[in-house]
This record gives sequence, C-alpha cells and structure tokens, in this order.
Amino acid sequence: MNRLYCPFCGPRELEEFRFHKTLAEPGADAYEEVYARINRPTMSLEHWQHVHGCRAWLRVHRNPSDGTVREVRLVAGSDEASLSKDSTHDPA
Amino acid sequence: MTRHSARQGARLAHESIAFTFDGRTIAARRGDTAASALLAVGVRMMGRSVKYRRARGVLTAGFEEPNALFAVGGAGHAVPNVPAPALAVEPGMRITSQNRWPTLRYDVGALLRLGGGFLGAGFYYKTFMWPSWGTYEGLIRRLAGLGPAPRVSDLRQPSVEHLECDVLVAGGGAAGLAAARSAARAGARVVLCERDVTCGGELEFETATIDGAPSAAWINTALSELHTRKVRVLTETAIVGGSSALVMALTQAGGMPASDAVYRIRPKSLVIAMGSIERPIAFADNDRPGILLLGAAERYLTRYGVHVGHDVVLFGNHDRLYAAAGRLLGCGVCVVAVIDTRAQLHAAPVHVLRADLARSGVNCLLGHAVLGTVGPRALAAVHVAPLTSPNSVRTLACDALFVSGGWSPSIHAGLQEGGAAAFLPQIDSFGAAAQPSWRRICGAANGKLELAEILRDGHAAGVAAAQAASLRADPGAPPVGRGDAAPNLESFWRSPAPLAQEKRQFVDFQNDVTVADLRQAIAEGFGQIEHAKRYTTLGVGTDQGRFSSELGAAIIGELSGQSLPDVGVFRTRPPYQPVTLMALTGHRFAGHVQPTRRTALHGWHEVHGGVLEPAGLWLRPRYYRAHGDDAFSAGLIEAARVRAQGGIFDGSTLGKIEVAGRDAAAFMDRMYLNRASTLKIGRSKYMVALREDGMVLDDGLLLRLEDERFLATTSSSHAQLVLSHLELWRDVEWARSRVTLTDVTEAWSVIVCAGPQSRAVLRDVLGAKWSTILDEMKHMQFASGLWHNASLRVLRASFSGELAFELHCRAQIAAPLWQALADGGLNPYGLEALDILRVEKGYLTGAELNGETAPEDVGFGRLLEGDNRCVGRDLLARPAFSARDRPMLVGLKAADGSSKFLGGAQLTTTDDKRRGRGHVTSAVYSPALQQWIGLALLARDLARDGDVVLARDPLRGLETPVRVTASVHFDPASERMKA
Repeated sequence: MNRLYCPFCGPRELEEFRFHKTLAEPGADAYEEVYARINRPTMSLEHWQHVHGCRAWLRVHRNPSDGTVREVRLVAGSDEASLSKDSTHDPA
Repeated sequence: MTRHSARQGARLAHESIAFTFDGRTIAARRGDTAASALLAVGVRMMGRSVKYRRARGVLTAGFEEPNALFAVGGAGHAVPNVPAPALAVEPGMRITSQNRWPTLRYDVGALLRLGGGFLGAGFYYKTFMWPSWGTYEGLIRRLAGLGPAPRVSDLRQPSVEHLECDVLVAGGGAAGLAAARSAARAGARVVLCERDVTCGGELEFETATIDGAPSAAWINTALSELHTRKVRVLTETAIVGGSSALVMALTQAGGMPASDAVYRIRPKSLVIAMGSIERPIAFADNDRPGILLLGAAERYLTRYGVHVGHDVVLFGNHDRLYAAAGRLLGCGVCVVAVIDTRAQLHAAPVHVLRADLARSGVNCLLGHAVLGTVGPRALAAVHVAPLTSPNSVRTLACDALFVSGGWSPSIHAGLQEGGAAAFLPQIDSFGAAAQPSWRRICGAANGKLELAEILRDGHAAGVAAAQAASLRADPGAPPVGRGDAAPNLESFWRSPAPLAQEKRQFVDFQNDVTVADLRQAIAEGFGQIEHAKRYTTLGVGTDQGRFSSELGAAIIGELSGQSLPDVGVFRTRPPYQPVTLMALTGHRFAGHVQPTRRTALHGWHEVHGGVLEPAGLWLRPRYYRAHGDDAFSAGLIEAARVRAQGGIFDGSTLGKIEVAGRDAAAFMDRMYLNRASTLKIGRSKYMVALREDGMVLDDGLLLRLEDERFLATTSSSHAQLVLSHLELWRDVEWARSRVTLTDVTEAWSVIVCAGPQSRAVLRDVLGAKWSTILDEMKHMQFASGLWHNASLRVLRASFSGELAFELHCRAQIAAPLWQALADGGLNPYGLEALDILRVEKGYLTGAELNGETAPEDVGFGRLLEGDNRCVGRDLLARPAFSARDRPMLVGLKAADGSSKFLGGAQLTTTDDKRRGRGHVTSAVYSPALQQWIGLALLARDLARDGDVVLARDPLRGLETPVRVTASVHFDPASERMKA
C-alpha cells in the first residue's frame, strides 16, 4: 500500500495523505468512538486526508495484513446532516 | 602478471590512468576495476578476513565479492566496503585495504591469532565473561567489523525519479533482454534495470549463437529494438528492494554504493532475471589469494585481459570445466590439471573435449578432489586425492585455482512479499517458488542452465507479464539460442577432511565461518538453518549469504544427516546489495527534508541582528542581537522596553483561516467552546476549540468580517491541524452545509504593535484617515482599510498585557510598515521577550495546552456558553475531568523571591519529594516583577493560593521552593491593556 486512490485526484503517493484514525464499529457510543482502538488484522476502516492534494477527507477500507485497499471514498455518509434547514433544499 | 600496456580486454579503453592502493601507485587502464588492475600488476592479497585476519584475495568478478572490499577516498570520508571487482578505477582514486593494522602485509591481529587457532562460534561471548562482557566489549569492537564508517557525511545528493511502467525487468542478461523484448512487442511500457555497465550478462563469455547470429551481435540487435520500442534501459542500476507497489532502484556508477540516481518505480508486473551465482566448494585453506571462482577468472581474462595465473588448476563438479579449460588454453594459460569430482563423464562431446585437453598436456582427473592448498600466503600448490582413497594425496604446483561448485539462482528478490524458496533437484539448488501474481522469475534465476531454455523462459515471462497488464499484441517467436550444453552437475559441497582441518574449510568467507563452526552449532543445538545463521554469523555480511547460504545448508545437512531440501535455506532481506543511507534518502536531506517558511519580514530580521530559530516549518526571530549573543538578557531588555515604551513583533506565522458561507456562524458554533454566532461584525472574540475527546485543541481570536465571513486565527504551530480538524467535521457531519474553509495564513502578514506608545506611533505612521479609528477602537474591535493602496486590518487585541494592535496587511506593505513603526520608536522584540510578557500575564501556549489539558484545567470552563453543543462537549462530562487530582493551571513565584526555577521541573510536596504532583510548564525571569515566575499544571488538591511546593529539577541541579499564586502575575485587572 504505497498509494491511495483519491476520488478527485486519482492514484497518488501515500506521502500526500495523512492518516487520522481508525473508525469504531457502527453503533459504537461516543466514548467508544473516541477511545476504542479496534485492531482487526484483516479489516480496517480509517479516516485519511489528502492534505497535500485536494484536501478531501477520505474513508479508507483496507486490509492491514496484506496492504490491499478495498475502497476509498469521500467521508460524507448517506446520513448527511445539515446545520440549517434551508441549505438542504437549496438547489444551488 | 601481464604487462598492462599489452592487455586486450572487452572493457578496456586505451587511456592509461593511475590510482593508489594503500599509498602505492598502480598503473591501470580506463575501464579497469580495482580488482582487475591489481591482479594485472600481480597484487593478489587484497584484504584480510574479519575474524582470523587471514590473507584474502579476490574471489569473484562482481558485486557479490566477499573478500576484496576496499575503502575509497581520503581518510575521514572514505566510503567503506566497496567490492573491488565492481569498483571502476578513476585517475587519482585513493583506495585502501581494510581489516588490517598497521599494513596489509603485517597485521597485528593476524600475529595475535597465530597462537590462538580456532575461535569457535560465540567465542567472544563465551570467553570474555568475567567480570562481564561489558568490560571487554569496547576493546573487542575495535578489532571487529568491516571497514570504518566515514566521519563526515557524503553531501552528494542523488536525483530521485519516479517511473511508471507495465513491466519492470530486473537484469539485462539473455533472459532479461528476451523478456523486455517480448513484453515491449506485446505493447507494454517496459523499464529494464541492469546492474552492470553493459547488458548481456553471461552471453559475453559464451561462444553461443542466437537466432543464427553470434550472441554479441544479438545483444546489439535486441538493445536497438528495445530502444526503438522506447524501453527505458538503465545500466549500472540495481534493484535494491521492492514491494508489489513500489520498487526501489539505484544507479551506482563505478560500483560505488553511493548513488547518483534513485528510481522509485511502480510496475504492474516485475520480471526477475537476475541470473545465477557460481558457488565455491569447501576444502582446507580454500580462501588463499589465487583461488577464484572459474567464471570470475574467465571474466578477468575476456573483459580486462588479465591472466590470473600462469599455471592453473580447475576444480569442479560439472561438464563446463572442460570447455573453460579449452578457452583458457586458447588464451595462452597453462592449465595444469582439471580436477573433476565426478567418477565418470556421460556426455559424448565432453569426452572429445577431455581428450583434446589431455593431448595438450592437461592432467584430467576424474573422481578426484582438491583437499587442501599450500601457501605460505598466496597459492603455491594444491593437494589432490581420489575421492575413493583420500589418503593417496599428490601435490600439484600451481599459482591459481579456479573453482566451480555449480550455480545458485539469484532468488533474493523473489523471496520477499509472499515468495518462498523451493529445492530444484535438477540443478541441486534452491529456486523461488510460490510467486505472487505480479512477479515472475525467469532464466538462470529460475533454475535454467541452457541458453535455449533461458531465452524461451525469458520470452515467456515477458509475454505473461505484459498479459497481466492486459497487453496482448503479437510478441513474435522466442529467440532461438545454441550455447553450452547442460552441465550434468553432480552434487559436491565439501572435500573430505580430518576433523582438525574443518576449521580451515571456509563456508562463509566474509564472516570466517568454517565447517567446524557449523559442526559446533549443531552440537550446541543451533542446527536449524535460521539458528545456525545467527549463531555462526553465516551469511550475515554484505554479500548476504550469496555464496554461503546453500553451501552452509548442504554442510549442515551432511553433518546432521538431513537432506538439503529438509535443511532449507535462510531467508534474506533487502537491500540486495549495500547502499548508503544517503542513496535511500535521496534529495530529502538537511534543508530539503521539509520546506522552510519565511515571513515577509525575514530579510529585515536578518539585517537587524535577528536570531532566527525554527518553529515548525517557520523561521522566527528569537531575539535581536544588540548586546552579543546573550539570549537571556536580550529577552529581558526587549520585554522591559515593550512595557516601558512599546515594541513590534512579527506575528505573521499566526495561522489564519477564513470561514465563509451561509452556515459559517452555525458551523463555528459547533467547532468552538464559545459561540461565534453572537459575535458582532467588526468585533473579535477569544475562542477555544476542543478535540473530539474533550481536550483543548487550540485557542485563538475569531474575527467576524461580515455576516457570513469569519477569520479564525490559530497558534502558529497548530494552523494545519486546526484547518484539517475543521475540514473533517464539515465533511463528515455537515456535508450539505454551506461553509468554505480557506487557509489565508500566507496571504496576510501580521505586525503586533504593543506598548503604551503604540497608539501614538501608529497614528503617525498610518496617517490622518486612521487617527479617529485608532482613538475610538475598543479592546477586541477591528477596522479594515487601506495603507499605501494595500489592504490593512487593524485589530486591537493584546497578548502582552499592554495596549496593543495587530496589523494584518498584505505582504508588499509589511516591510515598509514595519520600518515606519521602527523609525517611529518601537523596538523589535522576539520570542524570548514574547514569552516573558505572556507568562507575566498568564496567557497560555502549547506548553500548557499540550493535548492533555481539559478546558476546566486551564480556566476555560467559563467560556462554555450555555447549551452550545460543540465538538468534544459530550465527553467533558466524564468523571475523570473533575477528579480531585486533575491538573490545574496556577502561577508560581520563587518562595524566597529570588531563586531560579525552570520549565520542565516536577512539582512535589515538601514531605513527599518522590511523587510528582504536577510540573512547571513555563518559567521566566520577569523584569516587571524582578524575580522568577512561572506557570504550572498542579494537582487541584495542592493548588491553594499561598501554599509552597517544591520545583524539583535534578537534571539541571535545581530544587526551588515555589509559592502557588494566581496565574496572572502582572496587572491582574488588565488596566494597561484597556488604556
């Protein structure tokens, strides 16, 4: 795993990215989300940022034991929340 | 041996050059290696062995050389352990031999060991036990090891190039050329790396034909086709390591481990065609100068025209001895004997060759072996005996012995990342098995020994590698080769020897590992191959066990009654050959590790005595050199002047992030402990951001520029972190919100203008337009405008406790504005003074906000506004945050009013000095209070105003009773700042 595939920029050198953290299992409470470090050998869901590129925050699904990356996508999930009501309906 | 002017060799140019070896001038020809030039003038002894200090000569003609390792260059910066057969000599080059003192010929270590005899495996650790190993270690280490490390760094920086290709071929011999050609024909983008100065490998020596043409002509045809097909051929470039995603290759010109160019190659497929390595045979005193591998001797002859000996004996276990003997005879070498360990010959053509040799007077002995050699130093004779009756020894006088015990495929690169070694009985050696889908091994590296097979294998590997990259154009037919027949090798690893001679049967030349060591390892329970490696140091030298891994395994098998496949070979690691750290570093060295950031005022600081120090990537003035180099007194003077008159400080490194958009206010509410949405336009506010876990992330001022536009300032060192933090939360939680985040740190220079005279000076400098604005501006207000037609923002805020203004301006007016303020009577001050001023006022920096402080610890609890649900707030409710020994920010003063204490000191009670209850985060000598003061994080139960605790600092020899005070030492009502 010496490269990551950025959805905006394509395959880029790993050194352009910065690892942030391993994500908790779905359904974890606030404490677990912050403090629990899951260290599964074959599956890891992580946050990375393309800091020296487009600065996108990425959700990386990879296998730490063989270095293969299964999926890279932007962090924004399906449960997109909004800070103000009107912006969700803003067509622009 | 040979007059050098008369030498004819494929690699020699006409130009005569000279270099020095141990101070002696040696004449050579351009194109010579150190080994060939020394052999040509009769120098055989080229080094001493690391443990027994035995005289050693060159064994090979390539990078894999275990014996002849030289230091190149003058004293102090010589590059050690350069293999002589790879080292291209340059005019005036200074070469010295290693592992000897005072001279190569007379070595003290060798004398010391004359009486000592055999030093078995683990000798030093077992012998020097009393009172402890540590007593002797320093002395022994001085005698141990290979060449000396250079005393200065080699500042030559290699270039770094990134290459992408479909197929990377490692090795440019017959198989590699065939693979590169077929892959390129199939449509692949190909890179080929060849370690030697030219491609061709073994083809250079074989009298072979390919596609009907002599092999030399075919090499040229193949290379020109590769050129036409845009194959990148990198010679003198070795692959030193790699993974599925990235292969590192280094150009090592002239055989030096330092590198000129580093390639980071990303191939879709890797084809390993790194050939094979001829291996030696273990017999008594098999390490004398004058004993070479057969292939090496032929190389010296054809490439450099060097006759290694006058009267030579060949010793081996396969058919190729006879063809080689014929070639040597043809070149005028007197071949005394060919010693073949096999009892009989099977291939008819070899019978013919042998008969020819016998007619020329060569003594061809079947079923014989060389049992030992005669010195004194270099070879003078060999003892030969029939294997059926090892006692009937006869002695043959000779001055060179060429040994060939078969070939081991170069599989090192194929054993990484999922590769494994497997025994190949047809070549009596280990090959690489179980390759991952992206890697192929072909040719001699794949255990092929005949040219026709090697070419077919290489061609097929190239086609398959291209196919793996989905490239399927017609690769054409594989090249058809006709060369030497199969060697009909019969396994032979070691000559019979009485037990006493086993300590002179060398298995690993570089580390002086003998058959006796292996026997001892087995006896002591370290017979498993990986254990034996570590116990005896078999194969741990710079040659990485190229000669010794299989030989050692075979002998362990013989001694312990196991078969070679059962013993197995030990795993090797990259790099494949020695490289300097500099070669791996590439251009990322010294000032090029990371960028250096300079403020717009950098030039002014330099001219005016500013002492610049790195702070993150920035260079910031620490103090201005007015009275010598004393930072302490300079800081005191600068700080005192700020309070007395005023000063200017370059705050450009302050992080600045513009937050804009319809949801900017709502977003910033979530990101900070206190609310942004209640801030009025034209006002600023001190804001604190928390991490997800509730700890303080950073603090800074937030300016509301417009209704939907804010400027957040961060501490200099946290600018990138805070920006990433904001971006993450925006993207993860509020992806549909309308917020843009822009780092404008470098767009605005910042001049802090502080002190009682600051307003008056500013008024003069900024002109009439700004006068009223400055007069009416309240604390934490700001105004925007122009100065000399460039944007300027003036913010009244203070981090010194004085009346102060921050001037945010465009870079082009920063220097004139700064100069005008300086001319107006404000003195520049640096970080030393800034630190004094802020500690006096109890303002916090990274020393206090160290990632372990919660808002309550440092008095930020009051900032939390009502129901503001900010990031990190949920976890603030955890009980640990209100524990009674939770650290709390306090001020400290020396209890006696005069003693010194420093940041980093541990705080204890006077009763229990062993238990740290907190620490001093910052301490300064305050010119305003005329004493040492500090800030500290102290356990809440001890943080009572007026109590005395101990500041213990044993490393600096300080132990100071300090009194706990409020954190604000100076002007607690902040009257000066609001003036």
